[in-house]
Amino acid sequence: MGKKSDLVQGTLDLLVLKTLALQPAHGYAIAQRILASSRQVLDVQQGSLYPALHRLERKGLVTSEWREGENGRMAKVYSLTKPGARQLREEMDEWSRYIAAIQWVLEA
Amino acid sequence: MRVPWRREESELDRELRYHLETMADGFERDGMTRAAAMRRARREFGGVESIKDACRDEHRWSWLAQIGQDLEFGWRMMRKTPSVSIAAVLTLALGIGATTAKLTLADTLLWRTLPVPAPEQLSEILWFSKDRPEGLNSGSSGSMFRDGTLRVADFFSMAAYRNMRETVKGKARIAGHLYNQRVSISYAGRVSVAEERPVTGNFFTTLGLQPHQGRLLQDSDDAAGAAPVVVLTHRFWASKLGGERTAAGSAMRINNRVYTIAGVLPPAFTGIIPGEATDLYIPIPQSPRMLTADSWYREGEGDARKWIIQLLARREPGVSEDELRAALAAPYAASWAARPKSAEATPQLRISEASRGLGAMRRRFGDPVWTLLGLVTLVLLIACANIANLLLARSVEREKEAALRVSLGCEELRLLRQFFTESLLLACIGGALSVGVAAGLSALMVTLIPGAEALTLAPQTDPRALAGTGVVTLAAAMVFGLYPAWRTARAGVAPALKEGITLSRARWTPARMLVMAQMALGVLLVTAAIVFTTRLNELAGKDAGFERQHVLLFDLRPGEVGYKGDRLQQFWAAAEERLGAMSGVEKAGIAQTRPMLGGGHWDSVHNGDNRAEVAVHHGTPDFLASLGVPLVAGRVARPNETGVIILGQNLARELNAGLGSLVEMNKRKLTVIGIAKTAQYSSMEEEHRVVYLPFSSEQDSGTVLLRTAAPPLALVGPVRETVGALDKSIPLVDIYTMEQQISRTLQRERLFAWLCGSFGVLALVLCAVGLYGLLSHTTARRTGEIGIRMALGATRGRVMQQVLADGLRLAVAGLALGTLLAFWAARVAESQKLLPEGQMPGWTLVAAIAVLGTSAVLAVAGPALRASSVDPIHALRQG
Repeated sequence: MGKKSDLVQGTLDLLVLKTLALQPAHGYAIAQRILASSRQVLDVQQGSLYPALHRLERKGLVTSEWREGENGRMAKVYSLTKPGARQLREEMDEWSRYIAAIQWVLEA
Repeated sequence: MRVPWRREESELDRELRYHLETMADGFERDGMTRAAAMRRARREFGGVESIKDACRDEHRWSWLAQIGQDLEFGWRMMRKTPSVSIAAVLTLALGIGATTAKLTLADTLLWRTLPVPAPEQLSEILWFSKDRPEGLNSGSSGSMFRDGTLRVADFFSMAAYRNMRETVKGKARIAGHLYNQRVSISYAGRVSVAEERPVTGNFFTTLGLQPHQGRLLQDSDDAAGAAPVVVLTHRFWASKLGGERTAAGSAMRINNRVYTIAGVLPPAFTGIIPGEATDLYIPIPQSPRMLTADSWYREGEGDARKWIIQLLARREPGVSEDELRAALAAPYAASWAARPKSAEATPQLRISEASRGLGAMRRRFGDPVWTLLGLVTLVLLIACANIANLLLARSVEREKEAALRVSLGCEELRLLRQFFTESLLLACIGGALSVGVAAGLSALMVTLIPGAEALTLAPQTDPRALAGTGVVTLAAAMVFGLYPAWRTARAGVAPALKEGITLSRARWTPARMLVMAQMALGVLLVTAAIVFTTRLNELAGKDAGFERQHVLLFDLRPGEVGYKGDRLQQFWAAAEERLGAMSGVEKAGIAQTRPMLGGGHWDSVHNGDNRAEVAVHHGTPDFLASLGVPLVAGRVARPNETGVIILGQNLARELNAGLGSLVEMNKRKLTVIGIAKTAQYSSMEEEHRVVYLPFSSEQDSGTVLLRTAAPPLALVGPVRETVGALDKSIPLVDIYTMEQQISRTLQRERLFAWLCGSFGVLALVLCAVGLYGLLSHTTARRTGEIGIRMALGATRGRVMQQVLADGLRLAVAGLALGTLLAFWAARVAESQKLLPEGQMPGWTLVAAIAVLGTSAVLAVAGPALRASSVDPIHALRQG
């Protein structure tokens, strides 16, 4: 396992939305997928996921329902809504511009 | 309770538990025990509670949830200081509720303006003079009262009414009415009695009333030959006629004459005198008393010396009372039958504001509106002081708590909100209770007020009064509730946190000053209550000069059923004889004027150069004996004897008249045949000089007085039979014992005394609650200190003594201040003529102080006992 990185402020929402765009998931699964798809670099502090999920739900970007999980317990599964998908596209564009800008500065 | 934030809470729990358990499942698979796996999951997950908090903050309902938390916390804090909370809630409930109930009642009786358009334009026309207007007035019906050395009266001649009415056209409209009379009615075969008031045809148009049904009266109804009509009050129509839609136009028999019901008055209008119970209005020329042959009123129609009518004016907009008075002076003087004998005997007009209707109440008590308002203000002040000092007392420790919370990261705004919510909670509980208290007391008061059954009252809690008193007290609760948070925000946290167990000495903190002020106001209120109630008792219990027990009174009105001339004389003679012969009756007499009804005829009597104003009462020979006024000298008149007079003893002395003296009254020489013991006749209040004249059996109505051996009311049945044997069609009207009659005269005084008394009781309760709340709270706070004192050797007695002394010192200081206040208030009351001079004897004050002092001792005793039972070890551990 390599060196872990803290999340850049404000990016957690983006990561959650992106993860949910692939398929609906419950909180634990989201954390696992972020860790896996970032090649074990981004270790989201598990607990901090939930305030973000609740915030996104309040904004109507994700919805949730209770479903039976793989271990037979009931899990609260989140999925992306249409406004969520739109928001994700906008934030990804925003993020790309941001990265590019940082890159330009660093290479200047 | 399923509230939104609760539901989300439990979902959140489940959601997080799922996460933790799934994590733990993984660790378990790696070979950990379940317990260890859960521990590790929790550690890696982060602080569960803070995450829950963070989630909650993200929710739509978070503000509501916070208020919920605030409320829950507030409730917990209230329960932590129960004595303060209960005292505060009680204060709010009583303070708002009781004052509202009383304001409502006072409003109904004293303050409510008449339900007519522009009531402020209404005025009552009165006249006043120093001496009796001799030669101008030979008889009157109405009321007269004294204002200092002046006599003020409300009666005028019909000629004066017509003159004045015509002259001021364009400036004001003037309407007239006569005093109420009880009449018998029969409608659709049902017979009952009703109160009838004769009025002029323009009476209702002057008031500006619109009919509820049919029509009201008009000028043409005043014409001599007009068809007899009657207007009903809504209350009478609804209760006695069952609210018949077809009532207008149908016939009703009144005293055996047929009247057509013209219409029904609007429901809001109950009469021109607050609380009066008039049922019917009839145009004056058609009223039973005017249609009765030889009636005194009928003579008054054309005789400018008989002053029988009361006047009401509606000023046109822009016309002042002074202008009206100036305009009326000339036509009034033109109506006089003779020239006044002197300046002192010249009547002058007085215009009195009448937007609230006419009423003797205001005349008798100066202006009770202000007195009562003053008392309400005092009670509210006490209530606010109570709230303030209770919440301030609690604020000391709340400051510490607030400081702690700020230093732990609580935002100031959130802190303010917390305190705001707590105050609101307190205010709401108190406010809610107060509505119940107000409604309950309003209902209770009507049953408690002596004589209220004779008033037409339907008190409902007045929302304005509730709102007014509520706003004041609740505002006090909010202001003083927020005080600790405000102090913390200003002073910062350090000083509050540094205090530990304090060895406090009694200091003059704001709270203690407030308790003191409260006690002082309490003295004032309780004194006022005692003064007014004593005054009533003095009036009611005063020796009237006659034997008031065992007297039965009732009216007979043979004139109403057609008796006249010889038949009438025979009837009176037979009635007196047969009633006097009944078993159980000692004496029977007949009087022309009912005693203790406040009415009568006034005249002046001369004996040479000595002259006196007197009340004239006519009665049969046995009338004085049945009234219970003994003769000091001489004899009573023989049947049919005329030209003789009996003087009251006080009057005889004043006139320097003795038996056999020839006195002059109304230009007739009368021989004094008897001197009677000095006695009150028309009311308990003013001491009248009274003369008694023989009863004229041409009277078409009279009051029978029976002196009985047994309780008077037991004779009502047999008396009915006896009168029925004479003539079945003559009813017994207004049957009362003399004692009932006396208490009816004092009804308004009673009401006023009752209101004052209840304010006194309220003040007492509030003061005691305040003192108790403050002391029990400070004692609780000083538990640690008391523990130290006891550990250092103070005995229980000493501790108790200290707490007692502390509380009583406050009480005594307050009482002393209150005494000064009371003396000052008495001076003001006397100068405002609210009280006769010297009505506040020292013992009243002593009594007030004793009552308050006792309640203070009782209030202090509880906390003192509790302090003395402090367990030092327990106390020190807690501290």
